[in-house]
Amino acid sequence: MSKVTEKLEGMNVWIYHGQIYIPNIYSAGAVGSRFLVGLRDKKRIMGTRCPTCNRVYVPARSVCKDCFSQLDEWIEVSHQGTVLSYSVCHQPNPVQPVETPLVYGIIQLDGADTGFVHMLGEVDPEQLRVGMRVQAVFKEERVASILDIKYFKPLG
Amino acid sequence: MARESPKKKAKESKPEYIQVAFNTPRPYNWSTGKYLGKFYAEAKENRKIVGNRCPKCKEIWLQPTVVCPKCKVDMGWDWVQLPQTGTVTQYTYLVYPLWDPHYGEKWANPYPSAMILLDNGFYYRAFLEETDKDKLRVGMRVQAVWKEDYEERGQGPADILYFRTIED
Repeated sequence: MSKVTEKLEGMNVWIYHGQIYIPNIYSAGAVGSRFLVGLRDKKRIMGTRCPTCNRVYVPARSVCKDCFSQLDEWIEVSHQGTVLSYSVCHQPNPVQPVETPLVYGIIQLDGADTGFVHMLGEVDPEQLRVGMRVQAVFKEERVASILDIKYFKPLG
Repeated sequence: MARESPKKKAKESKPEYIQVAFNTPRPYNWSTGKYLGKFYAEAKENRKIVGNRCPKCKEIWLQPTVVCPKCKVDMGWDWVQLPQTGTVTQYTYLVYPLWDPHYGEKWANPYPSAMILLDNGFYYRAFLEETDKDKLRVGMRVQAVWKEDYEERGQGPADILYFRTIED
């Protein structure tokens, strides 16, 4: 990107191209780290189960949002799931992980009770519908990031 | 089967902690408008610092304004070229590296930041070239040094790299 201002033709108006960096680093924490390491090393999507509410959270979290129980029971959930909701995004933005158009989806994985936010891929936007079955596609080189899952593609 | 030592077992089961990092630049654009655009154009094309003068109170404003902040009248289109030599009236020796708010990059450091009384009596804030703290003094004579490359100019006030000490 040019760091220099551009002049609009025929006008004394300049367009100033600026940019800011917001360097930001945080620890995923004990539970988040275990979830991400599971993705990286064994292609496992892990969740934690609340013993009181009998609800499985994916991605894993340490405390139940309703009853505040400590969640110690780890459960591996399926790579397949059902689309609860989706959104097609055409507006490019530098923080987006892939080029537009991209499809964000909320996927309830089999064995989980919560929605998992990720991207949908290999899918024609017109074929999208709530309730379609999808499957996780993992990257070859994984670095313990949520993007180790490339996207979810339609099943069959 | 050999029993594992507790120490070894503890080492193996040590959890790995992941850090998540983001450093994506966030670009943005803004229009300078007509009056500030004139200032930008003069800096880029002619290496001139220009301000505009109020028709009523005859005060020069920089950055240029549309309405005089004092008299609240329309400034018109009366431009004044400011001299590029002046006298340091006060300075700050910056040791902490500041971030350029427009590009998110660090400014050169250390650079003294000074208020310079230009030769027409206008105060202008700029960096000084002299980075030796012992050679700085109030009253030293300085002159503006512009970016040489035409393509790199176009950032308004930042087109002046710094003010260089001159003898006269």
